Order: sequence, then C-alpha cells, then structure tokens
Amino acid sequence: MKIRISRQHIYLLSMLSFLLVFVLLFSFLVLIPKGKEYREDRVEYKKEARELRRYQNFHNEIEEKLKTLQAENRHIITAFDTAFNQERFEKQHRNYFSSLTVSRLLNTSVEDGFVSYEVNTTSEISSPKSFYDFLDAVNKSDWIIAVEFPINFKRDNEMIKSSFTMKVYGLNKETNTTKKVVE
Amino acid sequence: MKYSYITPRRKSILTKEIQLLLTFFTITIVMLFVTYFFLVIKDYNYIENMNEIAVSRLDLESNIKTMKSEITFIEKKNLLAQKIYTKNTVLKDSITNLFDLVPQRITLSEAKLLENGLILYGVTPNKDVYNFMLQAPLRSIFHRTYSSFYPAENGWLRFVSTNYVDEELRLSEEVYSED
Repeated sequence: MKIRISRQHIYLLSMLSFLLVFVLLFSFLVLIPKGKEYREDRVEYKKEARELRRYQNFHNEIEEKLKTLQAENRHIITAFDTAFNQERFEKQHRNYFSSLTVSRLLNTSVEDGFVSYEVNTTSEISSPKSFYDFLDAVNKSDWIIAVEFPINFKRDNEMIKSSFTMKVYGLNKETNTTKKVVE
Repeated sequence: MKYSYITPRRKSILTKEIQLLLTFFTITIVMLFVTYFFLVIKDYNYIENMNEIAVSRLDLESNIKTMKSEITFIEKKNLLAQKIYTKNTVLKDSITNLFDLVPQRITLSEAKLLENGLILYGVTPNKDVYNFMLQAPLRSIFHRTYSSFYPAENGWLRFVSTNYVDEELRLSEEVYSED
C-alpha cells in the first residue's frame, strides 16, 4: 500500500517540526535557565534587602542613641570644646568673691585624648558659704574644671584669703585630628 | 485553448492550515520572547539594586563605625566630667564638714587642706577645749594627728594641728567595711 502525501502537507509538517523544535530549544536552553537565574537573583536580592533593612534599623538605633547622648550631654560636650578664658572666668565668678585673680600656669598634661592645664587662683571671701557657692557654680561653668588640693584659707581681719589650684580640662585637638585622619 | 469553463482559483502558499499554524506559533514565540525579555529586565534590575544595596551598606557601615566612636568618646567625656563634678562636690562637703567641726570657742586663723591631710592653725582658750572639742573628732577622721601649742598674747593658746590619712590604712578600712 502506498501512502501518498501531498507536497503541501510535507511543507506543513516540516514547518511544524521546525517551529516545534525551535520553541522547545528556546524554552529549555534559554528561557528556563534564565528563569532559574532570575529566581536565584530574586531570592538573593530579597535577602540583601532584608539585610540592608536590618542594617538601616541598627543605623537608626545608633543614630538615635548618639542624638540622645549629644542632647543629654550638650553642656559637657560644649564645655570640653571651649578654650579657657581667664577674663570670662573672672567675670562669671567674681560675685562669689570679694576679689579674684586667676593666673594660668604652664603645667599641661595630656591623658587619653584630653588635655589639662593648671590655673592658680587667689581670692578673698567674706564667709565659707561663698566658697561653697563657687564650688557649685564651677560644676555649671562653661569649662570642665576640677578644684585641686592644696587649698589654703587664711584669716585676714574680717575676710578669708583663699588660694587654690584648678585643673581645666579640654580636648587634645592633635590626637583627635590624627584619629579622624586615620579613620 | 480552454479546458475548463470556470476561472482557476488562485493558489496561495498560505493555506488555511499554514495560517493557523503560523498564528499559533507566532503567538507562542511572541509570548516566549516577552517572557524572556521580562526576565532579562527584571534580573538586570535585581543586579542593579543589589549593587546599590552593597554601596548603601558600605556607607551605613562606615557611618555606624563613626557614630560608635563618637558615642564612645562622648561617654568618655561624660565619665570624666561626672568624676570631676563628684570630686568638686565631695570637696565642698569636706570643707563644709571641716568648718562645722570647729567649735565656737576655737578660732581658726588658717586652714590648709591637703590631698591626704589637714593643717589647722588657730587659737583655743585652753588645751582641754581643744582636746575634747576639736582633737577628738579629728582623731576619728585622720590616722595620725599631731598638735603643738604656744601661748598667745591674751593668755589663750595658739595651736597647730597636723592631721594625715594613711592611704594604705584607708584602703584596708574600705575593704573591711565592704566585707
């Protein structure tokens, strides 16, 4: 028995086979691997995005903490940054004493990012109460000042002459600049 | 010479079957290409976004590092400042206590407050007043107390009281009180 296939049908079948093969090859060799790659990249992207969000939250927490610390310690931060000014100190604290003389000594020491130098103070007070008020005021002054021993009080008629040393603390600009450059 | 009475119909290569086949495959291939380009574009976007994320992450990391070092420095500043403020307050309390310690009958002419001691100069009506009213409380505070007297013009006694705290004894007392 002879099967007769027309030329038309042969064209049709060959085109069908060609297109089918093309579709299959394209799907299996190009589309599916690309889809796989897309899926992997999507998973990776989501993971990275999640990680970034976590980092962002952590960053925000640290930023919040820093801002709170800066707000809470604004006075201390400013005080460390302010250079000591004898005239201003005398002007601010003169009302606690009958007379106040401040002279800066050259005894400077550097310790752990901070620099401190000594200031000699001689004054006259009418009662010890003035000195207590001065010690309270020193803690609220524009600088970080520690009143150091020895402290001398000497009666002079109705007045008390006092002399003591104060240590003024500031930032060691050189170390901090170097630190920032290294960072 | 004519063999047929009808006009011959035009024969096209695009028969109905081929048209159907082409339509079907065109739609299929277009869909495949569209899907492919969609995947390519999306994939490219993901890769771009991942690069951006990597850059942002590096920025955040460096910011976090800077902020952390700033926080440490502020904490250090705060700690030092609090230490100094406490020292000043303790000093104020010590001086208040010292002046409260001196009884009305004894007049001080000079007081030297040292890191580990106290030197007082003054006038007392007699030794007993000094011993009971000033030396006794001083002895309870300081480890070593030395006193010397010499007569004043009005019959009273001038005195020099030198008092020291021994650092080793103070430390051992602190340890004992903590126990």
